[in-house]
Parts: sequence; structure tokens; C-alpha cells
Amino acid sequence: MRHSLCSLFGWCALTVLGFAQAPPPGGTVNSGGTAGDYKSSSAEGGADRIFNVNSDSVDMENGSMQWKGTTMNLGNARAVRARFERFLAAPTDNGDMKRYIATLDQIQLLLSAQSINQENYYRNQQEAFNLLFKAAEFDIDANNSLTIASQVQKVWVMKQEFRQIEVNKNQLETLRKMQEGIIINRADMIEDASDARTRTQGNSKNGGLGKASSGTTELGFKVKDEARTQAQILARDAEMTALGLKAKIEFQSQMVAFLMARRYRHSLITSSFYRVLFKGGSQNIVVGAKEVKEFFPISDFVPTLESFDMLSREAIKDVSKGVQTVDDLVKQGELYGAFERLQETFFLGEFEPAIMSYPYEKKREMLALWKDLRELQRLGDEHDLGNVEGYVNKVRGRARDFPGAPILSKVTNAMNASNMSLLSAKAAALSGDNVKAEAALERAAKIWPQNPGVKEFANQVVSRQDTLAQKIPEFDRLMTESKWRDIFNKKLEYALALAQDKERSEKLRKVVNRVGELDANIQKASVLASQNNPYLAWDVIVETYKTESDDIVLAKTRSDIAPLVANYAQLIGHAEKLEKDGAEAAALTAWLSAQDLNPASPACGAAVKRLAKSVAESAVIRTNGAVPAPPAAGDEVPVPAKK
Amino acid sequence: MSKINPLFFALGIPVVVIVILVAVVVPRMGGGGKFADLTPFSVEAYRKDWATLQGNSYRLDCQVEQQLAFVEGRGRVLAVKPIEKDPTRPAGRIPVFVPAGSADSFEVGQRFKCKLRVTRDLLVVEALERF
Repeated sequence: MRHSLCSLFGWCALTVLGFAQAPPPGGTVNSGGTAGDYKSSSAEGGADRIFNVNSDSVDMENGSMQWKGTTMNLGNARAVRARFERFLAAPTDNGDMKRYIATLDQIQLLLSAQSINQENYYRNQQEAFNLLFKAAEFDIDANNSLTIASQVQKVWVMKQEFRQIEVNKNQLETLRKMQEGIIINRADMIEDASDARTRTQGNSKNGGLGKASSGTTELGFKVKDEARTQAQILARDAEMTALGLKAKIEFQSQMVAFLMARRYRHSLITSSFYRVLFKGGSQNIVVGAKEVKEFFPISDFVPTLESFDMLSREAIKDVSKGVQTVDDLVKQGELYGAFERLQETFFLGEFEPAIMSYPYEKKREMLALWKDLRELQRLGDEHDLGNVEGYVNKVRGRARDFPGAPILSKVTNAMNASNMSLLSAKAAALSGDNVKAEAALERAAKIWPQNPGVKEFANQVVSRQDTLAQKIPEFDRLMTESKWRDIFNKKLEYALALAQDKERSEKLRKVVNRVGELDANIQKASVLASQNNPYLAWDVIVETYKTESDDIVLAKTRSDIAPLVANYAQLIGHAEKLEKDGAEAAALTAWLSAQDLNPASPACGAAVKRLAKSVAESAVIRTNGAVPAPPAAGDEVPVPAKK
Repeated sequence: MSKINPLFFALGIPVVVIVILVAVVVPRMGGGGKFADLTPFSVEAYRKDWATLQGNSYRLDCQVEQQLAFVEGRGRVLAVKPIEKDPTRPAGRIPVFVPAGSADSFEVGQRFKCKLRVTRDLLVVEALERF
């Protein structure tokens, strides 16, 4: 599994070969995002994908985690590793975990719908508020409860402000109404005065100049006052609306922040407070709606406070189940599986009490495995394939369920690929194609930089020019002295040194073939001797010895086999000597004796046939001819047996 | 008519037959046969140093194992196995030369009594008889 950390180590070795890795299935990794960022994995999915625990996985390389089909970005890969390592190395948090959890549960209970009513509305809020400070006393709380408390207090303060604004607004409204009455009154008076003036003008008809209207200036000011009051009322309304929205957003933001920080219990408490503090009209989700929707791949899904709660509760449940699984796997000795599950569970619920109180001894055991895996990863990163096997075995010793076979298989393939490239480089160098040799050598070194063959070959290439001057005279001397075996033993060095010298290369090729054939005969003789057929082995040795009498290996094999065929060898030696002395019939007798010992011997058969024919042809001449020189027999003259 | 005692025939005829048999078979069973006066050939001595046997004639009882070579007008070389009185110590095969003048036929497995002459290192069959 690519997304499991330790498989990653194995695959790191594969990157040597340039095996590209596919992105995590169903996930879009936000490599540049910040911690706690949620991104949609794909448009696919349905209800069965929701809360599918099996889909949880951690991708250390990209610092992301898949949960519920959604990729959660955990941040920088190095930081993620460091955090997990710190968790494994750190002592378990002190404190009464049960009391802490009970306190948090009590807070939720006080604020839950089943507990709260008109009578205890404020009392429960206050008790829950007070319990937040008790929860904050625990180390593992990390004072997050105080954050909730300050948020709640802020809402309470805001509510007081809200009430003051309301009072202020009511006062303004009263003022406005009074101003409105004055304006109406003034307007009526002006209208009455105007009507009276009109009537007076009609009676006198002289139309004397007089004031057209009086009190209009005052009326204007009164209208202006009323408008200002109206504006003030509207401003108060706006202020109230803004205050309410601000409080709502701040509270929701805190709730989402807790969820994203994987402090699920605090998110639940924040949600509970929110539900109590805000009216029904403010229960819709404004902040984080988009992110929550991505956990529920349903097109018309409407996020609610309950969606947040459900996510938190599912996460808490998964963490709890994950820790149980880890314990079970440890009991069964499957430490690697336990390690993977612990890792996933840690990143899902890093701040969950079950994780924070995980026993220190078990964490130390996991830490040791983690360090071995890190070392294995380092070896993979550095392409140190030679040492991977040792470390895989070490990890297997620690965690018997560690899947080392695929890693070793890939490593072996990589080593083979490197060695093949090296062979190609050597072949190219031998044929004088330096460009091709260089490319093949580079390829071999890229796959396995510490390949001992690469170093050896590189040294050979580097020192080739230096050795050239030494090797040629040495080769010539050995050729003159017929020391084929010595040449054969250094064939690679000579091949490199003489690559450009066709004449000597041809000589070298012949020597290599000759010694190769000689070695084949020696091998054949050895096999025959080991198969309890020493006489035939001796035949092979004798035949080979005729042309390769100086070869040390052959001489050693000959001396090894000789004791097994002492009489046979003596007979053949005697026969050859007699033949050399001209006593062909006596030689034939000796060959027949040898053939009696080794009937299948082609050498004996051939000698008998040859000598018999020769004896038959020369018999008459021999009976009349001179006596050949008798062998150097002893002084003893055999006495013919008496009748 | 004189009458011969029948007892004479009854005893005389078997006696005559026995005498004839003794005269013919016993010399053969003595081992020498035709070449009984010759020294038996020592294969061991020949192998050890044939030169000391040169010019000598010997008797050899043998069985033909193989014809090694035949040259028209000259003769043939046979590989024969001496028939030893002590079969636990077989002497092994030796080559003998039968000159072209011999009218005998040789088959594998035939047994002969031979008169051998050691000419240089060659064992030449001068006379032979089957048995």
C-alpha cells in the first residue's frame, strides 16, 4: 500500500529505478496547503464511502491523510514525521484521564437538549462554563477549554451590549415619536395660520403686504431632528445585526478550528454552547460549510451543527476502535500492522485521550521499529541496495508481519539491472566503444551507486592507460613462456589493456579458448573420477597432458587421480616405453593388459589396433631382423619353468 | 570243431578295450599332448623381460579371444588367453602371431595347444593343435 508509511520505505528503493508512483487513489493532495485543510477527493462516492474506516490511510510523503474518502492535509511531511516521532518518544501524559473525560462529558450533558430547559437555562450554562476551567487544569487539555470559556464569555458580554443597544434604541424611538408629534403639531399650526391669512385677504381686497407663513423654519429644524433620530435608530439596528453576526461567525470559526485541529471533544462542546447561546435563527452554518459538505458527497446536502457533531463523534469512535485494533495486533505479534494502525489513528485523533494515554512501553517498542524503518528508508533513498536486505531482515525480526519479500524482490531486480548495465559497459569498453561504456556505467551507478562492480570497473577504466604500458610486455612475456594459465587468470585485465590491439587480442582469445578447453577436460576427468571411473579419467588426463603438460591445474588433477590408477598408468607407461624402444609386440602385450583393466578405453583400443597391425605387417621381417635393444631389465634371468 | 572257452571272450574283449584306451587317452590327459616335451610358457616372465626368453620355444595352452590383425600373405595376430591351472590367477591376454602358412581357422573361444617361439619380442606360433 502506497499510502502506508512503511511500504513507502520499500518503494523508496524503487525510485532508484525511476518507477513513477501514482497519486493516492481518490484523493487530491494539497501539497501547498496549511494544516487542517480539507479537500475533496473526487466527485464519486456515496453513503457507503462515508465512515468507511478501511479507507483511512496516511501518506507521509505528501503529509496527507485520507479519512472518510477525503484527503486531510497534515502539513509538511518532515513536520508530520517529527510529530509522530515525538509522540512515540515522549512519555505518556500524566493526569487522571477518566476524570478529564468525565468533566468534558458533564459539560456536554449540562448543555444537551435533554438537560437544559427554561428553568435551568442560565444555571446549566454557568455550571458548564465553570467546568471548563476545571477541564483546563488537565495537562492534556492544553487550555483549549479556556478558549471555549473566553468565547462563551465574549458572547455573554456581547449579549449585554446587545441589551444596552436595545434600550438605547427604544429611547431613540420614543424621542423620535415625540419629535414626530411636534412636527405634526407645528405643521397643523402653520396650515391654520395660512388658512386665516387667506380668508383675511379675501375680505379687505387691498392685499397688503404681510408675512406669508410663520413657523416653517422651526418646522424644518424639527424634521431634521426627527430624521437624525431615525438614522440613529437604524444605526443601532445595524450595530445589533453586526454584533450578532460577529458573535456567530466567531463561535462557528472556533468550532471549525477545533474540528480541523482534530480536537473533537472541544468541537462538540463549542457546538453545544453555540446551540444554547444562539437563537434558532442563527443555527445555520456560515463558516466551514463548504468543507463539511465535502465529507458528505451528496449534491444538495445542507451542513448543520449536527454535521459537525457527527464528524467529531465518528472521529472519536474511529480513534477508540483504532487503539483497540493496535492492542490486538500487538498481542498477536503483528507489530508492523500495529504500527500502521497506530500511525493512522494518531493522525486522526492526535489529541484524543486514548492516543495521549497510550502506554509508554508500547510506544518505545513502536519507536524502535520506526527507527529501523527510517533507516531502511534512508538506505532506499541513498540506493544502498547492498544493505537493504540486512535491514529488511532486522525489521522482520522485530515485526514478523513486515512485508519484506516485495522489497527484496525489487531490490534484487534493481541490483540485477545495475549489474547488467555494468556488463554492458564492460562489453562496450572491450569493443573500444567508450561513449557507450560511459553511458552504461553511468546507468549502472545511478541504479546502484555502491555496486562494488561499478567501483571496480571504474578503477579499471581509470587505470587503464597506466596499466596498458605494463600489461603489453607482461602479456608478451607470458606468451613466450607459454604460460597460458597465467594469461587466462588475468584475462579481463588483458582484455581491457589489449582492447585496441587486434593482433594481441586474437592471441588472447586463442589462449582463453585453449585454457577453457583444458579446464573442460580437467572437469571431465574429475567428474569421471568422482563417478568411480578412474581409468577413463586417466585416459582424459593422459590425452590432455600430451599438449598441456605445463599446466599446474592439470598436473594437480593428474597427481590426484594417479594413485587410483597406479597399475593402469604403469602399464600404459611401460607400453609406451616398449613401443618407443621398438618392441611393438611386447608393447601390444602391455596395452592388452591395460585394456583388460579398462575395456572401454578408446586410447587402449586405438593403441592395440595400431600395434597389432604393425606387428602383423612386420612379423616376418622381425623374425629375420636384428634383435631390438632389450629393455633395461635387471640382472635376474628368469629360469624357465621345468616341465 | 574246437570250442573256445566263452569265458575267454568275456574277459579278453574288455581287457583289450581298456588297453587301447589307456594307450590313447592317458598320454593326452598327462597335459603335454603333442608338445608335452616343451616347457610351459610363462606369461609373467615374458611381461617382465621378454629379452631373456628370446629364441626359446614353449608350449602354451590357450583360448582365442580376438583376432587383432590379419595381413594377407603374412599372417595374423591373435589375442589369446592362457589357460591356467589356477583359475584364480588369470594371466590376462597376450598377442601371438600365426604365420600365413597355417591352414587352421581360428574362432573366438577355440582352445589350442601351441608351440611358441619367442622371436625378438614376438610370440610366433610354430605349431598347434586344437583340444
